[in-house]
Amino acid sequence: MAEIIVITSGKGGVGKTTTSAAIGSGLAIRGHKTVIIDFDVGLRNLDLIMGCERRVVYDFVNVLNQEANLNQALIKDKRNSNLYILPASQTRDKDALTQEGVQAVLNELSESFEYIICDSPAGIEKGAQMALYYADQAIVVTNPEVSSVRDSDRILGILQSKSLRAETGAEPVKEHLLLTRYNPSRVEQGEMLSVEDVVEILAIPLVGVIPESEAVLKASNQGEPVIFDESADAGQAYSDTVARLLGEEVDFRFLEAGKKGFLKRLLGAK
Amino acid sequence: MSIFDYFLSNKPNSASLAKERLQVIVAHERVKRKSPSYLPQMQQEIIEVIKKYIAIDDDQVTVSLDNDDNHSILELNVTLPEK
Amino acid sequence: MADTSFQLKGSVVTTFILELYQYSREDFTQQLKDKISQAPDFFLQSPVVISLEKFENNELDIVQLLDVCREFKLQPMAFKAVNAKFEAAIKLTGLPLLSDTATRSVSKESVAPAPQQVIAEVEQASEYRRSKVITRPVRSGQQVYAEGGDLIILSQVSEGAEVLADGNIHIYGSLRGRALAGIKGDTSARVFCQKLEAELISVAGHFILSDSLDKTLQRQAVQVYLDEQTLHVVAV
Repeated sequence: MAEIIVITSGKGGVGKTTTSAAIGSGLAIRGHKTVIIDFDVGLRNLDLIMGCERRVVYDFVNVLNQEANLNQALIKDKRNSNLYILPASQTRDKDALTQEGVQAVLNELSESFEYIICDSPAGIEKGAQMALYYADQAIVVTNPEVSSVRDSDRILGILQSKSLRAETGAEPVKEHLLLTRYNPSRVEQGEMLSVEDVVEILAIPLVGVIPESEAVLKASNQGEPVIFDESADAGQAYSDTVARLLGEEVDFRFLEAGKKGFLKRLLGAK
Repeated sequence: MSIFDYFLSNKPNSASLAKERLQVIVAHERVKRKSPSYLPQMQQEIIEVIKKYIAIDDDQVTVSLDNDDNHSILELNVTLPEK
Repeated sequence: MADTSFQLKGSVVTTFILELYQYSREDFTQQLKDKISQAPDFFLQSPVVISLEKFENNELDIVQLLDVCREFKLQPMAFKAVNAKFEAAIKLTGLPLLSDTATRSVSKESVAPAPQQVIAEVEQASEYRRSKVITRPVRSGQQVYAEGGDLIILSQVSEGAEVLADGNIHIYGSLRGRALAGIKGDTSARVFCQKLEAELISVAGHFILSDSLDKTLQRQAVQVYLDEQTLHVVAV
C-alpha cells in the first residue's frame, strides 16, 4: 500500500509545488517509485516545474472522467525512471473532483507506486481539501511570515478534522513542518521569525528548513527540480529533508548567516 | 567552460531558457483553448498507429487546428527519427 | 396506572435583559450592531428578555423591535415591566409578559430566598459536571464547546480559535485565541491558562479584549474571574 503524502500550506506562493517536485524527485533518487499529482483545478503548475509541460496529453480530470486511463495520463520523468507525474486539469470544473473518483485513482496508483505526493493548490477549498483527504502524512509548507503561519495553522485544523483518518478515527495524519524561504541574516537582525518562533506557534515536528535561494528560480526556469542541483544550498536542504522523512537523523544546516568569502562572491556563488 | 564564463552570472542563461519554454507552451495552450476536445485523443491514436511501423517518441507527433475566416486547416506534424 | 407524560418543575434561568430606554430604528440597529460585533459568537442565538421598565416614549413599534433583534440573531423570549399601553401589541406577538417580581437582575437587588422546591432541583443538577478534555491543539478556525461542564485543553489554543464552556476553562498551554467561560450565565466560572496571549476572554458575558489586558501579564500563567461584575485577571 502506497504512502500518501500531501504538500499543503493554506497560503499561496510559499513553495508547495517547488517542494512537491523536490521531495518527489528526492524519493525517486533514493530508489522509491514515486508519483506526484497536481491537485489544482484550472491552473497547472507542476508540469512546468518538472519540465514536462510539452508532454502533457491527458490530465487528472481526464482520468477521473474516464476519458483516459492512468497509463495514458502519467508522464515518466526523463531524469529518473522511478518518477512519474500526473498533471492537473486546465478546466475550472471543480465538480470533476469527487471523493470516489479520487479514491479510485489513488487505489490504482497504490498498486504500483511506493509514494504518492499530492501537490495541493492554495486555499482551503475543494482542490486543497481533496488533496489532503486521503493523506497518511502531511508536509505543511510555511514561510517565516505572519499570514503564512496563521494559514498553516488553519490547514492543520482542517487536517485534524476533515481527513479520512480523522473521520474514521484512525491514527491521525502525521504532520511535518517545512520552513521555506528562510533567511538567517534577517532572523539574526530580528526582522524575521525564527525557526523556534514558528515551531512554538504551530507545535508540530520540524522536518526541514529551506534557505531563501536563487537556485529555486533558476530551477523553475530550467524545468529541473532544485534537488538535482547538488551545489545549491536549497537543493541540499531538500535532500536533508527527504532523509528525515525516511527516518534518518540529520542535523539542520543553513540556519546561520555565513560570511561569503570574497572569491566565492566574485564567482557568483549562490 | 572558459574563465570568462565564471565572471558572468548564470541568470541570463536560465531566464532565456524559461522564456523559450513559456513562448512555446503559452502559444500551445492558447491554441488548445480554441481547439475542439477530440484533438488530444486523435493525436494519441495517430501516435499509436505510427508506432506500429516506426519507433517514435510521443512528442514527435503534433496535431493542431488552425482557423481563419474561410476555412479550418488540420495540421499534422510527424518528425521521424534520424536513421 | 398510565405512564406519566410530563412533570412540572421549578427552575431558575439566567438570561440577558435588554433594558430599553428609547427606540429609533436607526440608532437601535447601529448600537446593537456595535455591541454584538464586540463578541459575535457569544451573542449568537442568545435568549433575551426585553424590559420596558425605563422606557420613556409613548410609542413603540413592537414588531419592528423584535425584527431588529432577530436580525442580529438574538432570540427575544419575553417582555417585562410593560406599561398597559403596549400590552395589546405584545400579546399579539405571542411572547409572554413577565411581571416585575418574576425577573430579577443579578447583583442589583438582593436575591429573595427561592422556594424549597427550586433549591432542591438546583442542588441535584450541580452534583456532577462532566469535563470535556482536549489533548491536541485547537487550531485557527476551530471551535470547541463543553456543554454542561468544564473544558480542559492539554495543549495550546491558536489565534483565530474559540473555546467555550458552560463551566470553567483550563488551558495547559498558550491561549492565543478566544476563551469564553460560563456562557450560560455561571458567574463563578473561571478561565485558567499557562500562557496568556489571548484575543478575548469572557466570563458569563463579561469580556475583556487583548488591548485591555495588562501588559505585564502577557505570556504569564493567569486566571480570569468575575467579581462584582468586573473581570479580574491575575497571575497564578
